[in-house]
Amino acid sequence: MNVNTLLESGFLMLDGGMGTMLQAGGLEMGGIPEMLNFTHPELIQSIHRTYIDAGSDVVYTNTFGANRLKMAKTGKSVQEIISAAIQNARAAAGEKTLVALDIGPIGQLLEPTGTLKFEEAYDIFREQIEAGKDADLYIFETMTDLLEVRAGVLAAKECGDKPIFVTMSFEENGRTFTGCEISAMALTLEGLGVDAIGVNCSLGPEELVPIVQELCRWTTLPVIVKPNAGLPDPVTGRHEFAPERFGACMKPFAEMGAVIFGGCCGTTPDHIRAAAQQLSVMQPVKRSVSVPAAVCSANRTVVIDMPKIIGERINPTGKKRFKQALVEHDIDYILNQAIVQVQAGADILDVNVGLPDIDEAEMMQSAVKAIQGITDVPLQLDTTKPDALEAGLRIYNGKPIVNSVNGEEESLSTVLPLVKKYGAAVVGLTLDKNGIPKTAEGRFEIAKRILDRALALGIRREDVYIDCLTLTASAEQEGVTETLSALTRVKQELGLRTVLGVSNISFGLPNRELVTRTFLTMALHAGLDLPIINPNTESMTGAVRAYRLLANFDKNAVDFIAHYGNETPAAPAAAKTDMTLGNAISAGLKSEAAQLTAQLLETTPAMEIVNSHLIPALDKAGAEFEAGKLFLPQLISAASAAQSAFEVIRTKLCESGAESVSSGTVVIATVKGDIHDIGKNIVKVLLENYGYKVIDLGKDVDCEAVAQTAAEHGAPLVGLSALMTTTLPSMEETIRLVKASCPDCKIMVGGAVLTADYAEKIGADFYAKDAKGAVDIARSVIS
Amino acid sequence: MIRLDSIDRRQALRYAGMRGDADTAISALAETCEKRLLSVISPRYIHRVYPLEFCENGIACKGSHLLLTGADIAAHLQGCSHAVLFCATLSQAADRAVRMAQAEDLTAGLLTDALASAAIEQVCDLAEAEILAGLPDFHATWRFSPGYGDLPLSLQGEFLDALDAQRKIGVCVSDSGLLLPRKSVTAIIGLSEKPIERHRKGCAACNLMNTCPYRAKGAHCK
Repeated sequence: MNVNTLLESGFLMLDGGMGTMLQAGGLEMGGIPEMLNFTHPELIQSIHRTYIDAGSDVVYTNTFGANRLKMAKTGKSVQEIISAAIQNARAAAGEKTLVALDIGPIGQLLEPTGTLKFEEAYDIFREQIEAGKDADLYIFETMTDLLEVRAGVLAAKECGDKPIFVTMSFEENGRTFTGCEISAMALTLEGLGVDAIGVNCSLGPEELVPIVQELCRWTTLPVIVKPNAGLPDPVTGRHEFAPERFGACMKPFAEMGAVIFGGCCGTTPDHIRAAAQQLSVMQPVKRSVSVPAAVCSANRTVVIDMPKIIGERINPTGKKRFKQALVEHDIDYILNQAIVQVQAGADILDVNVGLPDIDEAEMMQSAVKAIQGITDVPLQLDTTKPDALEAGLRIYNGKPIVNSVNGEEESLSTVLPLVKKYGAAVVGLTLDKNGIPKTAEGRFEIAKRILDRALALGIRREDVYIDCLTLTASAEQEGVTETLSALTRVKQELGLRTVLGVSNISFGLPNRELVTRTFLTMALHAGLDLPIINPNTESMTGAVRAYRLLANFDKNAVDFIAHYGNETPAAPAAAKTDMTLGNAISAGLKSEAAQLTAQLLETTPAMEIVNSHLIPALDKAGAEFEAGKLFLPQLISAASAAQSAFEVIRTKLCESGAESVSSGTVVIATVKGDIHDIGKNIVKVLLENYGYKVIDLGKDVDCEAVAQTAAEHGAPLVGLSALMTTTLPSMEETIRLVKASCPDCKIMVGGAVLTADYAEKIGADFYAKDAKGAVDIARSVIS
Repeated sequence: MIRLDSIDRRQALRYAGMRGDADTAISALAETCEKRLLSVISPRYIHRVYPLEFCENGIACKGSHLLLTGADIAAHLQGCSHAVLFCATLSQAADRAVRMAQAEDLTAGLLTDALASAAIEQVCDLAEAEILAGLPDFHATWRFSPGYGDLPLSLQGEFLDALDAQRKIGVCVSDSGLLLPRKSVTAIIGLSEKPIERHRKGCAACNLMNTCPYRAKGAHCK
């Protein structure tokens, strides 16, 4: 007997609440139910048996929390607990009932909100899957974090061989606690190749109706519904639905096409019996679903049903400043590029962090994690290296685009299997070992070849986007229309979405913006779905918005008016003769500070700007802060304005090939176990303003990593931050390790719970009472 | 469950280090950050009333595994027969909003973080009022949280388990005793059938007493 055979024969009935039955049997809140597998096997077996008698085809093992973190204090291993639980289920199941290995959330939040790393989560699930090899299927339930689910599903796929079911818990707003959307769950998990998906817990069956309806629109997989017995009474915590009412509630779900049923909190064998009875008079409904072309992050789905903008700026090609940021592992620089593009109107961001001499796979993971931590827009992973691509795909939260595969055999056979395994969409470039065909026909043929290979691997047609490649008009003028004809044919004859980087078109011509924008408009009219552009160029983003309006996508011009409706004609730039760089910094005006710096750079050497304008302005702000005339938010505003001025100088120095001058290196970190990083980030900006090279290790940093980095860079000063009493021991340990590996390195510490006395006690050289204090210390240590 | 229409910006600016009135630029930025934060957070709370049993080694919440230890919580719950355990959170969206604001502008990050701190306090006040309105027969103490006085942070895990808080509202605790999402609060309100003296929360119970910048100037945070 297996799941598929059972599903072919009709509805599949899961079991009801285990916790509910155990609490009825006297389990206290906060007790460890998994231990009952050893202490009361007969109780567990009898619960399974009553569910089977009530009609369950599948019973869940009593292993909801049986992971190494939650079981640490039981004295039992994960293997022992899961084996015992499976034995109990088997003892009750007999021949006809399947045993599902039940896996609940780990109980710790993943990065970036929490401290659990994706790889650790994977390993925790791997251990459970391996311990549960005797089960008939794996069920991940009550999940709220899509990234955590991805870790579990990958572990189950790579280390197990049983069907995988996943149910997540949604709130009435159609999102989980972490903000995961229903569509994102469906797109991501169907892409990963799980066997059935659905919902459990959180709501009662009536509240789940619209949620299941939405889910049915987004997946072709069998849909699971395992609701609570109504909403809990706020005072008693009891669920209110009687079995008959619960059973009747299954009807609308079956009518929408759900085929797998069960109960969660508050449900008993009587509820399951009533549900089975309701379903016994119904037939499964065959759903016909066509899931649209779409990509997503956990929190946002982007449907490719009209032109959507892919932002191209996260790419070092031709940008010296970007290359420098990559070499220095300056993630903040990349994040800034992400934020600016999203604000300018990008729907998707291309991420290319390739550079010879860096570990691109590591950089891709760091960049993807960091960008997904601060924005919801889906990403396009852009690399030529398969290891970097897989590194990015592995930890990407949602369904990304892979950029790219081409018609060459080597590319097809390495990239497409990764696209399939991780459930991504893919950009196919119409070139092969012979280069880019001159004619539209040649490119169309390659597109077809790529599509055929993708389909053969089980990649959906909707997930293949073809790039017919833009050639430079100044060099191959006759090729412009070939690109557009190929694009139209791919769209019309193959029914595929199209993608195109347009900026190349104008290379070598004057008034590039005009040429590029005109070509963009032509391409949109020819059927372009995904223009890859610089969204920060307003005329380009504007052209896409105008096209959406004119092509009748933007109904009633709602989006267009939202962007331009309040626009007043730009007034001629006010003469700002009275504004100095110093004033701009004092007032915290970032863009003015940057503009004035750019103007000054035309006539003044960079170092003179730093020494005569920036540093005095910062000193003044610092002195006023100390005197209590200026407060922290104002000090930071001034520092941020100075930072934007420095960025202009840094870019200029980079472009001219000059070495940037550093006053010395400072390594900073928020200590292990602590994730409060605002204070540390403020210190970073101020130190950078004063010309120090700051190596920011981030938050929750391993004690050894700080010592190692300080030694590696021969840093004369290390700054450590902690905000909690519970993390002071790891600060002390870090100090010990730094002192052991670099005896000459000075250490300053800061954070709300620290005092000068305590800093001395744990071996720090300095106590920084605030960010200004940290700069003063740096100046005294590094002269 | 709980809707916030506005955040106490004055309090938030104080948390962010402003003294006196903020200038117009900072005020305007705070207002923008407030709007953004309010548009993304989904405040939630969960509570449960437990009968108390005063034992030799602490106060047991009967029907759970939670044992409240230390002299301060004993004093706080003196005369109480029951206690409300509750946990409130702004959800992960608040953590995300702070990260996004920081990546864009550090001042906005600082202000968003401070606004979120003010917001969770407001959520706790509203939750407390709602909970106590449902318990008209009891007299209540003020809210006491793990980490105050000598009530250890290490019992956050069992506290959350006694409420099934991870499953019900998505709140976890890290190894270092930190509640996550970050803007989350656990608290205990003592309940008594007889009138009790409702002490004000004072500095003695606060673990920042020795480093408090307000106290250094002879002032208070509330």
